[in-house]
Amino acid sequence: MELFAEQVLNGCALGALYALFAIGFGLVFATLGILNAAHGTYASWAAIAALAATERLGLPFPLAVLAGVVAGGLLALFVDQVAFQPLRARGAGMLAALITSIAFWIILDSLAGFATGQQSLSFPQGSYPARMYHLGTMPLPAMQLLTIAAMLVATFGIHLLVRRSRFGAAMRAVGWNGAAAALGGVNPRMVVLATAFLAGATSGLAGVLAGISTQNVSFSLGEGLLLKGFAAVVVGGYDDVRGAAIAGVALGIAEVITAQYLSTSLRDGITYALLLGFLLVRPRGLFGRAGFVRA
Amino acid sequence: MDWLSDTWAAYQSTLGFAAVNAVLALSTYAVLSAGVLSFASVSYAAFGGFLGAQVMLHAGIGPLLALPAAILAGGVLSFLVALIFLRLEGHWMALASLALVLITRVVVLNAPALTGGVNGLSIPVELPIGVLILLLLLLMLIFQRLAVSWYGIAARAVREDPAVAASLGMSPRRVQMIAFLISGAVGGAGGVLLAVMLQFLSPDTYFVNIAFTMIASVVLGGSYHWAGAVAGAAVFTALPVIAQAVVPAMQDVANGVALLLIMIFLPRGLIDPRAWRRRRAARRRNA
Repeated sequence: MELFAEQVLNGCALGALYALFAIGFGLVFATLGILNAAHGTYASWAAIAALAATERLGLPFPLAVLAGVVAGGLLALFVDQVAFQPLRARGAGMLAALITSIAFWIILDSLAGFATGQQSLSFPQGSYPARMYHLGTMPLPAMQLLTIAAMLVATFGIHLLVRRSRFGAAMRAVGWNGAAAALGGVNPRMVVLATAFLAGATSGLAGVLAGISTQNVSFSLGEGLLLKGFAAVVVGGYDDVRGAAIAGVALGIAEVITAQYLSTSLRDGITYALLLGFLLVRPRGLFGRAGFVRA
Repeated sequence: MDWLSDTWAAYQSTLGFAAVNAVLALSTYAVLSAGVLSFASVSYAAFGGFLGAQVMLHAGIGPLLALPAAILAGGVLSFLVALIFLRLEGHWMALASLALVLITRVVVLNAPALTGGVNGLSIPVELPIGVLILLLLLLMLIFQRLAVSWYGIAARAVREDPAVAASLGMSPRRVQMIAFLISGAVGGAGGVLLAVMLQFLSPDTYFVNIAFTMIASVVLGGSYHWAGAVAGAAVFTALPVIAQAVVPAMQDVANGVALLLIMIFLPRGLIDPRAWRRRRAARRRNA
């Protein structure tokens, strides 16, 4: 029973990473209408930036995380302005943006390979909280608790932002129709910039935390998050932050429990089997409602 | 003359891969031309490729005879996929098809009887490059005939505006179903041709990379004409080769930058029928 509880906690921590990444990916897809293949590289680069801040500048843990998060956000802004803004200005639609995002994926992945010397680096011991708390006899690693807390804060914060604030209303309006939103007094340009930064920062946070807890800072970090985060977005629904968060955590738990009790080779299989099942049963995600479209 | 034969030897396989990528890109173009963004061509290619490979290995027949089996396999799979996907709306369909690509790899890993599992599958079969080019030309001819048929016109109408198309008596669902079937058949063929080109299939052969190659070829070349898929595949296959020859150290970066620049300056792709029509209209006005 204790083993089971431990594995559920491991699953929650892993799933929290997927959830954080999925929130960023979903925000971009819902608001900007871009299927962003470069999104995983934001996570890799945020982790690399946080590692550099720790090793080169000797910043303490909270500031190093902040450096990574800001780096993720700024990188997302840069990619948005270089790769997507010219296309948006011409009204070129989602397809061309998909290709420019693939281009940036190739570029940033390859540069991340150079930055880490084609190796998998890790954060030095003692640069992050490694304390072990105990609940009865069950160990609770500080890093896992921190990851789950970060996910909960980000999910509630962004959910409130999108659903309850004026800015969130502007985001949803731009996501539905940019021109109509502009007529309604929204500045789409600002909304786009803020959304890109927020999405990059959220995924950057996922990248930094994943880099610490998996001891792997390299270009492959973002790729793993991208595939699983993408699955969470499809299961949870891209237009609802809560859905992506719940789906991310559920995928994490399912993965860890499968690896523990069934077989490690089914670990990835279970994610995608769940994905297929959800596509068949609830194609619009956990919180999806049947919408209607006027011609 | 030596120079010519050396170049030919060096770039023969690039030409072969360009032709195979063109076939796969045409599979993606087939659904895109009816207004559906779908990456499921990868799954048709995987099914057709592995099935075709098994047929070649066990029945001992050549690639040309395995081709019909692969086409049929791709077509059947695309029918099943279309039954599910056509219930979804645009954005969700794109996500779902990408999910299908991820699922394909898991299925390939867990069906070792058909796919060789983790170890992959070696296919010691050769297809002369001339035959490959001929097959591509035949396929291009078919797409040209389709583009000017009732189906091609209906597909264009459905892509531009499904509601208007429906009000004119075309059933968007039916047109898109046909598009899926064409995509499946062509994708299956592309899958087996890729298998013959590579002579080895691994679980990663039919995965995200090839999905992005297909869609990038179509959009790069121009998604409003079938020739765009062929031109895009040629450019997309040649780019890494050129990048490696010019800047070997930064080949991936150069490749990505080239892709980025082409898309930013030509967002509708290299081959754009609308631009041709405008130019023709401008000439007529000036004359």
